[in-house]
Amino acid sequence: MSKSAARSMAKMFQMMSQMIESEKDHLSELDGAIGDGDHGITMSIGFLAINAELSKLDLDQASLSDVMSTAATGFLNAVGASTGPLYATGFRRAAKTLADRTTLDLAACADMIEAISTGIRERGKGQRGDKTMLDVWLPAADAAANALAENKTRDAFWHDVVAAAENGAAATRSMIATKGRAARVRERSLGHIDPGAASAGLLIRVMAEALQSSGQEAH
Amino acid sequence: MTPKALSPRKGGASRIGTTESLDVMPLRYGDDPYVWACWLYYEDGMTQGEIADAMGVSRATVNSYLADAREMGIVNISLEPARLASLTIAQELKRHFGLADCLVVPSDDNARPLIDRLGVAGAHALQKLLKSGDTLAVAWGRTILSVGEHTNIGSLQDVTVVQATGGTTASFAYTPELTASAVAQAISARCVNITAPAVVASPEMQRMLLEEPLLKEQFATLARANRIVFGISSLRPNSTIHTSGFFESVSLQQYLAKGAAGVVAGRFIDERGRPVTGPLDDRTIGISLEMLRGIGTRIAVAGGFDKVPALLAALRGGYANVLITDAATGAGILRADGVTSLDSRLSQRQKPIAAPSSYRTHVKKFLNNPNDVVEEMLDGAVKAHRKYLEPIKGSHRALVARNGPRPGKVGLVIGGGTGHEPGFLGYVGKGLADAVAIGNIFSSPPPDPIVQCAVAASGGEGVLFVYGNYAGDVMNFEMAAEIAEEQGIPIRTVLTTDDIASSPLEDKEGRRGVAGNFFIFKVAGAACDQGLTLDACEAVTRKANARTYTVGVALEPCSMPQTRRHNFEIGPEDMEIGMGIHGEPGVSRERIRTADEVVDTIMDNIFKEMKAGPGDRVAVLVNSFGATPMMELYILFRRVEQRLAAKNIAIEANWVGHYCTSLDMAGASISILHLDQQLTELLHHPCETAVLNIN
Repeated sequence: MSKSAARSMAKMFQMMSQMIESEKDHLSELDGAIGDGDHGITMSIGFLAINAELSKLDLDQASLSDVMSTAATGFLNAVGASTGPLYATGFRRAAKTLADRTTLDLAACADMIEAISTGIRERGKGQRGDKTMLDVWLPAADAAANALAENKTRDAFWHDVVAAAENGAAATRSMIATKGRAARVRERSLGHIDPGAASAGLLIRVMAEALQSSGQEAH
Repeated sequence: MTPKALSPRKGGASRIGTTESLDVMPLRYGDDPYVWACWLYYEDGMTQGEIADAMGVSRATVNSYLADAREMGIVNISLEPARLASLTIAQELKRHFGLADCLVVPSDDNARPLIDRLGVAGAHALQKLLKSGDTLAVAWGRTILSVGEHTNIGSLQDVTVVQATGGTTASFAYTPELTASAVAQAISARCVNITAPAVVASPEMQRMLLEEPLLKEQFATLARANRIVFGISSLRPNSTIHTSGFFESVSLQQYLAKGAAGVVAGRFIDERGRPVTGPLDDRTIGISLEMLRGIGTRIAVAGGFDKVPALLAALRGGYANVLITDAATGAGILRADGVTSLDSRLSQRQKPIAAPSSYRTHVKKFLNNPNDVVEEMLDGAVKAHRKYLEPIKGSHRALVARNGPRPGKVGLVIGGGTGHEPGFLGYVGKGLADAVAIGNIFSSPPPDPIVQCAVAASGGEGVLFVYGNYAGDVMNFEMAAEIAEEQGIPIRTVLTTDDIASSPLEDKEGRRGVAGNFFIFKVAGAACDQGLTLDACEAVTRKANARTYTVGVALEPCSMPQTRRHNFEIGPEDMEIGMGIHGEPGVSRERIRTADEVVDTIMDNIFKEMKAGPGDRVAVLVNSFGATPMMELYILFRRVEQRLAAKNIAIEANWVGHYCTSLDMAGASISILHLDQQLTELLHHPCETAVLNIN
């Protein structure tokens, strides 16, 4: 069981990297409007590094937690800037949360999303409405917790999470950046989707695709 | 000749004897009758008849001079662009949101605080909209209090002002009671207060209070309101909602989690203007959103960028049908709602400046592969300064001082992005920083090299991190500190915040660290080198930071090596006061002025905060942002010295040159360190680095 769970998660990171590669230019373009135009490249470097590190891991022996903490370290050392610490902290916290988990059931998934968003929030000291990736991760975590509490099916669970994430990303259009580089352009950030929020929305969509089917196998 | 009665206008001269008259066509106008006619007409305000007399021509000729002058372009009729823009924005807001009316305050007039300008505009709207016999509901807040303070209408009868919500503690000036009574007084109206708290302890209490006959009567008055004036609060951490303590922050978080984007008359709405339910709803005493929307004239007065999402929510929800705001916020609302036509309409007003044929879009630079600039620069720098520093474990991203770290000494680690050379590696060496962690251009290093620096700098007494206050740097250095502490190295951190133009005094901790790093690093390095404890090193570094004041002025933008394009733009005639070293916005963008005037603006700002009296001593740093030459820096220093001398403040030490740059940005910053005995000693302590050598 733990074997397949760790493999599922590694597979998820691979899929995330593929998605980032195909959306790289789009993300950089979004960033060009309000930042320094390198978000796609930053994310690409980070996820390539994650997969490079994961390929060194023996997935037959590794736990879910091992996969997450390997991802955290890989991402951090490759990226720096501010995206690096944010996702690295999120993944590291998820590694802690998953320490005694061996399957990726919905409770584990909800905990994982919650841990990632808490890690990002604490590291960045941000909140909703700051026009950052938190406007995606926090609503996604809430949606996951609610879906879990309401005993929703696996499909409905991921549907809610993805919908919350995508609404969150779209909502950044009408927000003004107060954190990071985009804060420099203040009101000019209006009307633009935050690139960090956009990539977060994509990551969660891929997470849903990867874990929706794999979890069923584990059941 | 028949002497004509002298006209009261100075131009009313007789047509004969012009040589004697003061009103002859002046020499500088040559024989250009068009200009002269225009001058008398537009500048002196003479009639066409008077001009005809003055010029000795017929009235018809004057008339045709004036008409031709328009065609020839001698006279241009222009509307003040800022006012025109605010009118355009107002019209667009009115159209886009179907408002009954909209008043937009021009953004050019920054002489007065926004809150006052909104107050004046709100007063103007009340004057126009209020009628005798009206019942006006008034919500609370800073902006609405300002409306009350600026209103003065004495001509209305039988107006009732009713407080729209319950009351609060009087720990701030703009309570519901005070706001309502200020407005009531300003229009000589009867004032009905809601004599219950705005938020009560429990739903039961709310129900019981609303059953009280007195409150029922007050709410009946509120229900009769045919107009309401209210502010709109954002949920940003520094908004009225948070700072007033009106709502408990626990509850606020619950509303935020449900997507609340703003607060209207004490009620929460989401980004589409839908009510957001939460724990305070049935504990609130005041107007409901439904009641509000039932009122005929709903005047919202609010401005400021951080309120854009809240304003947009209120407009989408139809809570306001009259909007009073400022041009920047108004344009922001439209842009946030996807109205793009405005930008083109506003920019069409400006005459396009034709680019000369030699115009280029790329800046020339000495480059090999643009992606290798940081590595190649570090390779060169490490070799150039090998006398002072060396790589840690072969990495150029973490450099350590030769003969710097030693057992028993607190280590000093500095760092940040590149593009600021000689910052920060130029400050590494014996007696100053022990190690530096280096990131990409304008981008923080990751934690790993910072940890390596901490390990290399550690002499068993702990390590001090000193770096500029930027989000990315803070996160990476914090993570590095956590990792280093896990490895048994005690870490203390001092964030530099010397850029006094980057945030107001109230938000001192939010300020950026810029060229004043020079002084703060120097003091910290000396304290470490003298063998002070980690506590003492941290304390004196904090003191140096608190007493260092920097203001920068940018003339031209910088360009990134990868793109060779300008990173942002500054207008051909403009400069930006307070601009940060990565192009962060400053206090104001204005027309460029003389060097002395620029220094005076900077020094006035510094003197406002620095409490230095006659006889005090300071250190001065005049720093180039990259492209500004020494010649200009000395001109700036000259004036700095004059201003300090006039206050009888002595310059203990000074530096003029490139100390903290921003690639090839043109501009300069002035930093002043207000010395005391301890700081003076530390400033003179010996050090050996690439930038600074003191023996």
